[in-house]
Amino acid sequence: MFIEKYGKYLLLLPGLIIIVFFLILPLILIVIVSFMQIFTFREPTLTLQNYIDFVASPQTPTILLNTFGMSIGTALLTLLAGYPAAYVLAFKIESIKIRNYIISLLLVPFFIDWNARTIAWIPILGESGAVNYMLQALNIVREPVQLLFSRWTLLIIWLQTNILFAIFPIYLALIRIDPDLINAARVLKAPPHRVFYNIIFKLSLPGVVVGFTFVFVNTLGDYITPALWAGGIQVLGLSISSFAANFVWPYAATQSTILILIALAVLFVLFKIVDIKKLVE
Amino acid sequence: MAGIVEIKRLVKRYKGNVLALKGIDLEIYRDEFFVLMGPSGCGKSTLLKTIAGILDYDDGELYINGKDMKNVPAYKRDISLMLENYALFPHMNVFDNVAFGLRMLDKDEEEIKKDVMETLALLELKGLEKRFPNEISGGQRQRVALARALVIRPSVLLLDEPLSHIDYRLQRRFASLLKDIHRQISGTAFILTTHDQHHGLSLADRMAIMNSGLIEQVGHPEEIYNEPHTLFSARFVGEVNTFMGEIQEVGADSVWVKTDIGYLKSRKPNAADNLVGRRVGYIIRPEKIKISKTGENAENSVKCIFEYLNYFGHYVEAIFRAPHNVRIKSTIPTYNLPNFKVEDEYWLSWSANDARTIIKPSVVEGVDIEDLIYGR
Amino acid sequence: MGVWNFVGKVYIAFIIALIYLPVAFMIILSFKSGASISFPIERFTLDWYIKPPTGEYAAYLSLFYDRQVFQALQNSVVVSSLVAMISMFLVTTLALTLRRRIAGRDQLFYLFLLGFLTPGVAVGLGLNFLFNLLNLEFSIWSAAFINVIYAVPFGLILMMARFNPDLLLYEQAGSSLRASPLRVFRRITLPLIIYEVISAAILGFLLSWGEVIRTQFALKGIGTLSTFIEVQLGVNPLTPKWYAAGTLLSVASFVGLAIFAYLLSKTTR
Ligand SMILES: Nc1ncnc2c1ncn2[C@@H]1O[C@H](COP(=O)(O)OP(=O)(O)OP(=O)(O)O)[C@@H](O)[C@H]1O
Ligand SMILES: [Mg+2]
Repeated sequence: MFIEKYGKYLLLLPGLIIIVFFLILPLILIVIVSFMQIFTFREPTLTLQNYIDFVASPQTPTILLNTFGMSIGTALLTLLAGYPAAYVLAFKIESIKIRNYIISLLLVPFFIDWNARTIAWIPILGESGAVNYMLQALNIVREPVQLLFSRWTLLIIWLQTNILFAIFPIYLALIRIDPDLINAARVLKAPPHRVFYNIIFKLSLPGVVVGFTFVFVNTLGDYITPALWAGGIQVLGLSISSFAANFVWPYAATQSTILILIALAVLFVLFKIVDIKKLVE
Repeated sequence: MAGIVEIKRLVKRYKGNVLALKGIDLEIYRDEFFVLMGPSGCGKSTLLKTIAGILDYDDGELYINGKDMKNVPAYKRDISLMLENYALFPHMNVFDNVAFGLRMLDKDEEEIKKDVMETLALLELKGLEKRFPNEISGGQRQRVALARALVIRPSVLLLDEPLSHIDYRLQRRFASLLKDIHRQISGTAFILTTHDQHHGLSLADRMAIMNSGLIEQVGHPEEIYNEPHTLFSARFVGEVNTFMGEIQEVGADSVWVKTDIGYLKSRKPNAADNLVGRRVGYIIRPEKIKISKTGENAENSVKCIFEYLNYFGHYVEAIFRAPHNVRIKSTIPTYNLPNFKVEDEYWLSWSANDARTIIKPSVVEGVDIEDLIYGR
Repeated sequence: MGVWNFVGKVYIAFIIALIYLPVAFMIILSFKSGASISFPIERFTLDWYIKPPTGEYAAYLSLFYDRQVFQALQNSVVVSSLVAMISMFLVTTLALTLRRRIAGRDQLFYLFLLGFLTPGVAVGLGLNFLFNLLNLEFSIWSAAFINVIYAVPFGLILMMARFNPDLLLYEQAGSSLRASPLRVFRRITLPLIIYEVISAAILGFLLSWGEVIRTQFALKGIGTLSTFIEVQLGVNPLTPKWYAAGTLLSVASFVGLAIFAYLLSKTTR
């Protein structure tokens, strides 16, 4: 009987319909449109021209390097900054209560509105912001220093808005490590750095990968922060959104396809190497 | 009399191609206390869940009260089930847990209250109605689970390992409680699984020995104890001395088996084909062995060295070393215990009528006699 | 040993300070008098929240009298509530199905994870193509569904990681006690996962509340409060008003988060 056999799949139906309509179909259309010369679904002419243009464009290397360089760089830097924090939280703070307080404290800003978090950087780093005011008041500089609108601003803002994504999964992976494993390694006379590398770090890898994924994906798609606070540094997301706003849809689609493909390729390789499902099981 | 549960060639396959039931044939009668016994992982829980309808079966037939159960969901079957970990609903108190099944039958609250209180009284649970499952002891939890399964008065009550997870004294108490209840209520067949042979033997009207998804033997406990069909059954039910051997000679109603400790005589096995030269297991129960200093004129006598005693209260297990370092154990009532001396020689003897020669290691194919005897 | 412990704790404090620094500045700035956002601050007022209108230029209207802000806020509430309800329903049905070892479980899990793994720009653009192809108009609903796709994977992971491992057993016990599948769900499953269900709703609400990129692509007109502010930032000079708006938005998410945390703590076994 059909119902008996496939009944358990029936509940998936609403979810599947929605994800197909709002995610899968759009993605398929992106790929189709990326081959169009002019945006039209009536007798479209399909061509590779957009891709040729993209490859041939003198800006392409800069854009790709900016996009993936900044995202991967931010992700790595965020992990580097977040790992020690997660480590201290998991192993150096004994009281569970204090730990939970700290985690809640870290969690709160993540849910605060995105705009709210970023516009606050102007009064901090802007030319008449708090930092410049202090520098001038202390007579360290005479003229305001340009602190905003650079790659470094972007890096700092991204680091600040994303660090929780790094800390949290690593912390979850670290507290799952059986303390007896660490003790066993110590009893077997492993020096501290090898205990860390061979046991703690390796077992926390799923958390590291999930953290990387979060930060990487978040920054990759974010074109607003680069546009507003990094002096419009050329990244793919920004380019897509400006082509889209000017209705150059096929080329925006081509860039989107490339963005998605590279992003998924990076994540695919990562997931192949490290089994992230260990974190939820 | 037709069985209340009839199972024919039942096959169950789990995802990943685990064949958990490989063709089970079984018939269970009304009012019977039936025990399914077998080692861990042999498929006991799977069989119960299939009868209950929680699992589908892949092949074969299953009838309850004469009705085909294919495509009949669990909630429409005239059974109830006490699960291995009790599965008491954590968000309901004891009363609501026990009342659950009655409410599902849309009984009116008056009647439900009466039935629940009656069952709670029967199981010595009065006064705990308002407590939640995490507020009562393990033994009480177990009785609540039984009450919940019992109160709807099903034709078949399935009990999955109800005697695990509690201490030994409670096990004994619960076992006798089960037996009492089974005698008090009529019209309900109990099917209980266990891997503990003591409980299995003492509770069962009839029992089945299971092994890797198959049934080794079905029968009354003493029937299986005295006339095991396979070496597996023999070794799973009660204590036994087993010797590897080869049939040398066949008489009218006895055989001679060549073993490491000599030629041993037993009753002739029920197999028609030519027996001479067959590799067999020769078994003798420890309580059938007589011990003497001189060696009586018995059908089987082996000269052994006494090693040590295992004390069990009302009886003692004496361990001897026979030729070729073969161990033999014999049980002796404590009141009758002679003064054994370590490393002294004794004669162990038994009659051929008490010994059995068993040809089949197991109904499971590919099980080697030697592996079965020395493998564990 | 002692020194390193101390350094570690100082580091945590530093991270917390780093995260809270912008929040603190946002709140302080929202009470600043005058239109500039430069330091030092001379005087604190509530002008940017509640001062009656004097100029006609939107940026200089206080929050309370800016009708557009109210419209955007209304959109935010509607979109986020829809996201909350739809993703609550989806996450529950999906989690209940995917917890079983059904065929294709891993593939389905990754399929839904894709909603989070695909950059919002691309999803938004693709949805524009689809609506263009089908001649559909963007509405509150499209904005809700594009956020649902994004919120579902988070909820799914949260719910699956927190499922009571014995849930399946309770359901089996229920069905062996004559409860039909519907009754098993109502009497056993739902009461046991109710907090996770509500948490999934709140998570969906919060995620869509702060989301800019996806919503911007799928909602035309004034947008939600988040997208509205984002547009205003590009057009109008930055005044303390927007910090006031940010502060209010944050207060709203904070209240939501507090409820969320309370519910989660209730189920910690
Ligand atoms: N859900 C499942 N998926 C796959 N294999 C399973 C599943 N449940 C049980 N099995 C396998 O089926 C076989 C029988 O399992 P079952 O639980 O019925 O054994 P059992 O006799 O009840 O054991 P125990 O005494 O330990 O409870 C085992 O080999 C087990 O590993
Ligand atoms: Mg079992």
